[in-house]
Amino acid sequence: MEKSTYLEDALETYKMRHIEDLVKKYKTRRDEIKEDLKEKFNSKAYNPFNSGSFAKHTAINTKFDLDLVVPFKRDSFSTIKEMFDEVYDFLKEKYQDSGKAEVRKQKVSIGVIFYSDAEGDRIDIDVVPGRELNDDDYLTSKDLHIYFNEDLWGYEKGSYQKTNIQSQINHIKGKSEAREVIRLLKIWKSTNGEDYKSFLFELFTIKAFDKTEITGDLWDRLKVVMTYIKENVVKDGFNLIDPGNSNNNLMDSLDEWQKEQLSDKMKNMIERIEDNSENLKTYFPKNKKFGEDKNNSSEDNSYRLKGGTAGISIPKKGQRFG
Amino acid sequence: MDDKRLKDVRDTIQNIPFVEELNWIEQDGIFINGEVAINFEELDEALLFNFKISPVYPLKNYEQESITFYNEDLISYNHVMESGNICIHTSHSTNLKEKIRIDFESLREWIVRYYLKEQKDLNYEHILVEYSSIDDQYFSFLFNETYGQIPIGDFGWVELSSLNRGVYKNKKIENYFIKKFISSSGIEKKLSWSKLYDNSKITNRGVYYFLNEPPASYGKFALKNLEELDLPTDFLEFLHHFEKDNLKRSRGRIVPLLLGYRINKNESHWQTALLEIGKFPLRGIPIKKDGKKTGKWTGELISEKIQWGLTRNVSYKYFFGRGVFSEEITQRKILIIGIGAVGSIVAKTLTRVGCRYIDLIDYDVKEPENVCRSEYDFFSGISAKTEELKRILAGISPYVDVGCIRSDLFEEIIKSFYQLGPHKKSLQEVVNKYDLIIDCSTDNDLMYVLDAIGLEVGLLNMSITNHAKEMVCAFTNIYDFVNNQFSNVLQNDTEDLYEPTGCWNPTFKANYNDINVLVQYALNHINRLYDRGKAKNNFVISNNDGALKLDEF
Repeated sequence: MEKSTYLEDALETYKMRHIEDLVKKYKTRRDEIKEDLKEKFNSKAYNPFNSGSFAKHTAINTKFDLDLVVPFKRDSFSTIKEMFDEVYDFLKEKYQDSGKAEVRKQKVSIGVIFYSDAEGDRIDIDVVPGRELNDDDYLTSKDLHIYFNEDLWGYEKGSYQKTNIQSQINHIKGKSEAREVIRLLKIWKSTNGEDYKSFLFELFTIKAFDKTEITGDLWDRLKVVMTYIKENVVKDGFNLIDPGNSNNNLMDSLDEWQKEQLSDKMKNMIERIEDNSENLKTYFPKNKKFGEDKNNSSEDNSYRLKGGTAGISIPKKGQRFG
Repeated sequence: MDDKRLKDVRDTIQNIPFVEELNWIEQDGIFINGEVAINFEELDEALLFNFKISPVYPLKNYEQESITFYNEDLISYNHVMESGNICIHTSHSTNLKEKIRIDFESLREWIVRYYLKEQKDLNYEHILVEYSSIDDQYFSFLFNETYGQIPIGDFGWVELSSLNRGVYKNKKIENYFIKKFISSSGIEKKLSWSKLYDNSKITNRGVYYFLNEPPASYGKFALKNLEELDLPTDFLEFLHHFEKDNLKRSRGRIVPLLLGYRINKNESHWQTALLEIGKFPLRGIPIKKDGKKTGKWTGELISEKIQWGLTRNVSYKYFFGRGVFSEEITQRKILIIGIGAVGSIVAKTLTRVGCRYIDLIDYDVKEPENVCRSEYDFFSGISAKTEELKRILAGISPYVDVGCIRSDLFEEIIKSFYQLGPHKKSLQEVVNKYDLIIDCSTDNDLMYVLDAIGLEVGLLNMSITNHAKEMVCAFTNIYDFVNNQFSNVLQNDTEDLYEPTGCWNPTFKANYNDINVLVQYALNHINRLYDRGKAKNNFVISNNDGALKLDEF
């Protein structure tokens, strides 16, 4: 099996265009919330803007976020917590109390989870409120303070942190080759139920592309990034700086054992795929909804008669024993 | 030849620097006997030791040294036997002269450690007991810890169940395990056995008394006579009544008198004096007041040699003292689905490494042809796999609770209802009571369902390729991972299968050893993952012509 061809095929099955109708629903809901927020916080806020993996073009159709960032003016609330709570109260009143959606406080955002529609789709939009650092500096700096509603990444519940979501979006803009690798790592993360943050892989991949000469086909590029992660994640002094906050080193959010584990996982993946390219299917399975592997078709996976010999059961190739 | 050996021994001993004097040495039949005076700087005066060298010297026999040093005056010191033998453990040598030098050096070491420094060993040393047989039969009594300590001076009844009879030192041995102590005031203290042992039939009863120190002289030699124990009158009366109550039904039956004592703050030990109903060493003494008989009687022990039975502490920590798996596995509730070759080996291994809770599920029946590569017996004929394995596992460990789960739970109920909301929830509850489910069933449908059902419990899927060339073990993303390995990655030969006459369902070819090598390697790796809290990555073990390789994913 040619590795890059397989990976390209696999990526194809995770494209957002396969779920256009669903994305449309998401966009409609997001725009609806955007308009409501604009109306409510008209003088207090700047224009809300889109973020999340969809905005960054790193979304996969099994896991994606259409987030909405609401930048508030410095004098709109006396505290960041007040800002967070007021946005929550408003969304709760507007959507939950009217029976449209469940609204809940999340880690740094407020989740609006619309009840299933006629097709059974459940749309959820995350709203991230942020407040500019100083009066009127948002339009130039794009810096915001965001609120931590849970203990997270080393920050305590109730604290806040400077970020620049626009810088994070810009950081990945135009880097289509890196985005392919990021999407593959997200497929792996989601398939294997890994706890690591997607943002971590974004920063790793972009840094690998910056620091290493990356050429060749998709497998070559993926392998270089995985090797980069394997070698650097356990290195003392290795930093992954959040483009939205130069004081935020993502490496600090990982415990030592998590770093070692991630390095081991990258090592194992590279070795197993080099041993046998079929192992790619384990790490980066195609999204079965939008693409079936010819070698793994349902025909091959079921019992069948061989050469028409009636009455003899021929075990399938994948038969297991114990 | 003998003269030469005697001369070599004499010359060698005389040349040892700390042998002050070889007082005498002689050939006595097949033995060489003698006496030496040992002296060196730290000693105030020379110590005398007799020695006896057997004809097998310098080789050992029965794992014992074939040279004996003894001095009865040293009996109170550590590592000295009742006959005054000094207990030494020395190095191996087949060279007579070298061995003599080594053994005398060991004797010198004993003098320094235990005579001069009077060192105490850190580990508790059990008292030395000479076991007796009665009518050519030995008796053993196995115990573990009770729920709650028994107080000093407490006495009462003890209930026993039987294990199989065996052979000990060329004689029969009757084996019992102790189930329960019941104090004379009625307080019960059960021992900590698995449910099966706990529920087993009582086959004998005896009595116990809890002493304030071991029943031993010099703290290490079991007493010879019960009289030396100074047992209180109320206990002797109890003993008398016990015999009287059992006399009619059980005259001649051997019953234990268990004598307990603490060996440290938390642990007790027991020794067992064997008593025969009808011949208890007791006699009645009339109680007198002012020189006149009161009509009341008390008991007194008759001087009689104690017949000691064998007693063993088989508490979990000693039973598995030589090696266990991580508590992260042994203390978990485990369900094994599918107990064919792989599943039965897994179950048996987990039992031997100290697991306490194993439930088994398999709809299948063991046929004689299953025996050659699984953990079943021919002796039991055709039999339900779960019931037979339960019996086998219980036979291995008195600490494993084994349950047989209805096979329709997975074959019908879970497969039928896993997609339906309310049923799904109750199924989840049934399955989530386990900590770890090991699926050795090779049932792809079940593998799919278990993946789909969304369990909180740890899942491990184990299966092998034909000829036991590879073993695939999966913890995560199980269905897709395992299918990809078997369908696309591994060279699984599904043509060369074993097809017995008339059987339409061929099976794989591999012997017990082929399979066991993979299972043991896999379990070894899994134990390490749990013990060290490492990531449970899926893995494949391959056996390439004897070279085993484990690849993590």
